[in-house]
Amino acid sequence: MINNILNLVSNYGVKFLQGAGYTLMFSAITVFFGVIFGSLICMVKRSRFIVLRFIAGVYIEVIRGTPILLQMFFFYFFLPLMTKNTLNLSKTVSIVIALIVNSAAYVSEIVRSGIQAVDYGQTEAARSLGLNRRQTMMRVILPQAVRNILPTLGNEFIMVIKETALGSTFYIGELMTVRAELQAALFLAIEPLVIVAAIYLVLTFSLSKGVAFIERRMAQGD
Amino acid sequence: MIKTIDMHKSFGSLHVLKGVSEHIRLHEVVSVIGPSGSGKSTFLRCLNLLEIPTSGQIFFENEDISKINVDAHRQRVGMVFQQFNVFPHMTVKENITLAPVLVKKMAKEAADELAESLLKRVGLLDKIDEHPKRLSGGQKQRLAIVRALAMEPKVMLFDEPTSALDPEMVGEVLSVIKDLAGSGMTTVIVTHEMGFCKEVSNRVLFMDDGVIAESGPPEQIFGNPLNKRTQEFLSKVLY
Repeated sequence: MINNILNLVSNYGVKFLQGAGYTLMFSAITVFFGVIFGSLICMVKRSRFIVLRFIAGVYIEVIRGTPILLQMFFFYFFLPLMTKNTLNLSKTVSIVIALIVNSAAYVSEIVRSGIQAVDYGQTEAARSLGLNRRQTMMRVILPQAVRNILPTLGNEFIMVIKETALGSTFYIGELMTVRAELQAALFLAIEPLVIVAAIYLVLTFSLSKGVAFIERRMAQGD
Repeated sequence: MIKTIDMHKSFGSLHVLKGVSEHIRLHEVVSVIGPSGSGKSTFLRCLNLLEIPTSGQIFFENEDISKINVDAHRQRVGMVFQQFNVFPHMTVKENITLAPVLVKKMAKEAADELAESLLKRVGLLDKIDEHPKRLSGGQKQRLAIVRALAMEPKVMLFDEPTSALDPEMVGEVLSVIKDLAGSGMTTVIVTHEMGFCKEVSNRVLFMDDGVIAESGPPEQIFGNPLNKRTQEFLSKVLY
């Protein structure tokens, strides 16, 4: 088995690296747009208008209350149908969109709890000085909320890396797709799994170390 | 200068203010005392609309403040909180210059100069580039006071400014407030510091159960209170 693993690495190392590259790329894209849309959804959720709050609430509940694999299937079938295939979206794009839609819901809750964790006295002090709602949010609350949000966002990144594995159901080329292809071609089940697991661990472990570092820095700079 | 007419405030079914009519005059230093839950803080917070009265009216310089922009009103009313609420992510200087630059569109250089002169006045000039984390409670509260003063308010409101302080820091904060009151700033202060209240106030309001039960100069309130509840309260706190 050790021999098999070494052989796999030397013969198919590039494939694994490619898979890892795709995994990282899909995760980075997901987190990037997830943060943008998640923050927007969070703003809608905190809106003064009850209808907007309700819509955002429904979105968050539906996404968090259904399996991500189901959401991937939904976008895989639904997006081409909805666009009448005029955009000629690849399945990869559909799956990444599903990942973004999913992540945005979680990010919006991360941002919301980060904002809520800032002492309400800060808002009162800023408003007492004559700052309006927007100025208070941008200059006083958000800069403090970011300290709460950043470490949690790092954890979300780690979650997304693992969730991209579900994309292998649609053969989008990330690590678990590579594993499936090698298993089918070489009739080796365990060895590719071990290698892929090791790569995932390297990715997630170094990220969580990075998060811990940021957390320490944030705690210092209070 | 500030006049309230039959001001009521309820939080849900809790009726906190039950008709407060009061007139704070220019240059007056008014202390508000009373048992906890009597509505002192709520009364104070209504004056800069941190709480919106359920009913009644507030006039500021003869202008009904429900008819003007809330932010504009708050610019002329300084507020100091029990918990300081200084901005931890900014330096001492930035704490002070934020509102003048952002709200009053003051030039940055002018705001910096203003911050320096204010900090000098309260003995914090050497802390100008520090973050509030490095300040003691008393220093934070002095910072909170000059942060409010930087907006050049017409009235200063203090909500139990020394209640969260270690005893040895109470004096430094009270002396800043005293100087301010002595300089003619119209001041309303909710406090449990009876000695201080006696010393600086022109007038003391005793609040009980959502109304102003008694009002008068400190000599009267502390020396010869007319109201039975005032007598009871003072006999408990003055020992």
